[in-house]
Amino acid sequence: MMKELFEFLFSMMIFPGFLFLVALGMLFHWIDRKLIARFEGRIGPPWYQPLADTIKLFAKEDILPIGTNEAFALLLPLTSFATVLTAGFYIFSAFITSNTSFEGDFIMIVFLLSLPSLLFFLGGWTTSGIYSILGGHRSLLKYFSYEVLFLVTLSGASIASGSWSLAGIRSVQENGSPFVLSQMVGFMLAMAGLIGKLKRSPYDIPKAKSEMIVGPLTEYSGKKLAMWNLTDYVQTVAGIALLVQCYFSGLWITYSPVGIFTSILLMLGLQVSLAIISTIFTRLRIDQLIDLNWKIFIPLSLLQNILIIIL
Amino acid sequence: MSRLTIPIGPQHPLLKEPLSFNITLEGENVIDSVLRLGYVHRGIEKLAESRSYIQNITLFERVCGICSHIHTTTYCQAVEGLLGLEVPRRGVYIRMLLCELERIHSHLLWLGVLAKNIGLNTVFMYAWRDREIVLDLMEEISGGRVSHAINTIGGVRKDLSQEQIQKLNNGLTDLFDRVKDLLRIVENDRSFKARTRGIGFLSEEEVQRFCVVGPVARASGGRVDLRKDTPYAHYDELSFNVVTMNEGDVWARAMVRIHETSEAIRLCEQMVEKLPSGEIAATMKRKVPAGEFISRSEAPRGEVIYFVKSDGSQSPARVKVRTPTLTALITLPKQLRGLQMADVSAVVAGVDLCIACADR
Amino acid sequence: MKKILNKIHSFFPLLPNIFSAFFSKPETENYPFEKTHIPERYRGRVSIREENCVGCSLCVLDCPASALEIEKESKTQYRLLHYRDRCTYCGQCEQSCRFDAIYMDNDYIKPADNKQDFFAVLVDRKGS
Repeated sequence: MMKELFEFLFSMMIFPGFLFLVALGMLFHWIDRKLIARFEGRIGPPWYQPLADTIKLFAKEDILPIGTNEAFALLLPLTSFATVLTAGFYIFSAFITSNTSFEGDFIMIVFLLSLPSLLFFLGGWTTSGIYSILGGHRSLLKYFSYEVLFLVTLSGASIASGSWSLAGIRSVQENGSPFVLSQMVGFMLAMAGLIGKLKRSPYDIPKAKSEMIVGPLTEYSGKKLAMWNLTDYVQTVAGIALLVQCYFSGLWITYSPVGIFTSILLMLGLQVSLAIISTIFTRLRIDQLIDLNWKIFIPLSLLQNILIIIL
Repeated sequence: MSRLTIPIGPQHPLLKEPLSFNITLEGENVIDSVLRLGYVHRGIEKLAESRSYIQNITLFERVCGICSHIHTTTYCQAVEGLLGLEVPRRGVYIRMLLCELERIHSHLLWLGVLAKNIGLNTVFMYAWRDREIVLDLMEEISGGRVSHAINTIGGVRKDLSQEQIQKLNNGLTDLFDRVKDLLRIVENDRSFKARTRGIGFLSEEEVQRFCVVGPVARASGGRVDLRKDTPYAHYDELSFNVVTMNEGDVWARAMVRIHETSEAIRLCEQMVEKLPSGEIAATMKRKVPAGEFISRSEAPRGEVIYFVKSDGSQSPARVKVRTPTLTALITLPKQLRGLQMADVSAVVAGVDLCIACADR
Repeated sequence: MKKILNKIHSFFPLLPNIFSAFFSKPETENYPFEKTHIPERYRGRVSIREENCVGCSLCVLDCPASALEIEKESKTQYRLLHYRDRCTYCGQCEQSCRFDAIYMDNDYIKPADNKQDFFAVLVDRKGS
């Protein structure tokens, strides 16, 4: 009884629960910032920067404009943080063992990972500043387009494996070949969808400093802003890990220690490519974003899925 | 769709200096905008009437930070015209050298600001890294990175030594390659062109109707360059091209400015080669006779006009300054009509505003 | 082949630049922890060669910020004061002096926390 309680607490709080996800998220965020700085010819922050930022934010005053619903303004960042933590828990424990994976958890993970975008927009709506409303407006349009892309491309992986669970997707690849080889186009479109979900350049219109200050989160400060930032960090790691599991399982990713090592390397590789893509493109305008999505990306991914079904 | 009014107010991350715009949006399109100036008005023209001619040189240097040298050059030219003083050739060449170096500095700064507003942080960092070379060169010659204080009535204060000429040559060669690289990026990058082409359009007859000067006019096809039209300060002895483009949008302005930067580097190299020997300044009589003089020059943003009127006393009776940013500001509401909200930042950055110049 | 390379190049013209910037030293000067280069002509502190000064007060007349003041009792007894917090470091005093007395050093003026540090007596020839 005590042993089970201890194991439960350990997995919830330490690994792969709260502490592990937050620490990994901060590490990947630091790698991203350092890489982008070096690409631009700057030095970049030291390794403890994300941790120091979070601690500083917890110590700041937390004020909101008159007329905002205080309870809602606290509930939204808390909920989005909770959803990504839950999704991250299932994704990372699927790296170690297949026991925690159940039939249908894949869809649940993708759904949980898409909630923060909706809550981001609602967060802007509640604080009702002029910059937040306009920023939120655009975020909703974007949320709609890129979440759809992410779901459609990832469901290619699950269609090809014939199961709705992460363990099932992995085992089909382990017996056959990794999906990245047979669904290269799908993989690249899933990366594009991930960039859109994470609100990174070139899709970072809601956060565009030069136009809308910080977008929907303009009025947040203190603990709430810290939670929005932490959501961002954990969402990045969870998204990257999900992509690695869905596309690269089998040949290089197994349940053994060597497999875990290669999976970490692959995650780092994906983070490096995300940083490179952020530095070489300008921020696209909202209508260019949406055009690109609905005219090129989604038709290609639907075509990919049809080919999978036929072959 | 309801109409929304957004203040791009006096403080905004998009602007370098305070300027107030109220943009009326319908959905995502801009319908109208209202401009307000005057946030940085310091009364410089009135201050000039209570200071002596020599003290005014330092005063006029502080009209603008980026084009400080050209303001003092034009003012000194006006007072030298009143006095009937002729500046020795070496002094004029050193003045022109610093003018062109300042033009390079201003255009590189502007390219960085445009790239940052569009979202391409990398080009911002690269352009400002290359700008450091120019700033170091100017600091070697004059003692200050942005405020040079090298002009005096009658010539310049400091001479160029052999060591500095060597550093100049090395720096200019390095800079030419870097500017060529930046040109390759701006010309070819698809996402850059997607954000800057086709917006902020000004046609050639609109340019003439609004009396626009500078690179904004040259990007719409007008060949307005004071260094060729009415050469001041020995520009007729040097050879260079006036760059014009016909498209008239923000991308054309970027191309014009980058080509102008390479032309300016070539001009600097010619000046260093042809530097005449001799004195650098003529002695100035302290008493300025009564009269009026108008002097004009080509600043990085266009044509600067100084009108100095003297009545024989210690201080000028009236100094009137016309700066080029005002002409470009007047066309902004017309350029912004019909654009989307995300294009506002690109257009406002593309016009290269210097509100401190416009307000004085 | 060249056409394909050109097409890729037009999509990603920044790629070679970011890789070369990654593998070279960053351009940032780590200023407080590294010394930076100050050129010879840098306009720093206003100093004086006392033996050359004759008290003609041309520098006082020409200073645009009224940072120099002279207290004159007679032709050979005077005090020249310099207010560093009014000074704009423009170098006009150095230019106006015909006796090569006042000049600008290239010492960097550090910030201070009391007003006395910003006031200097350059020449003191007042009688007792």
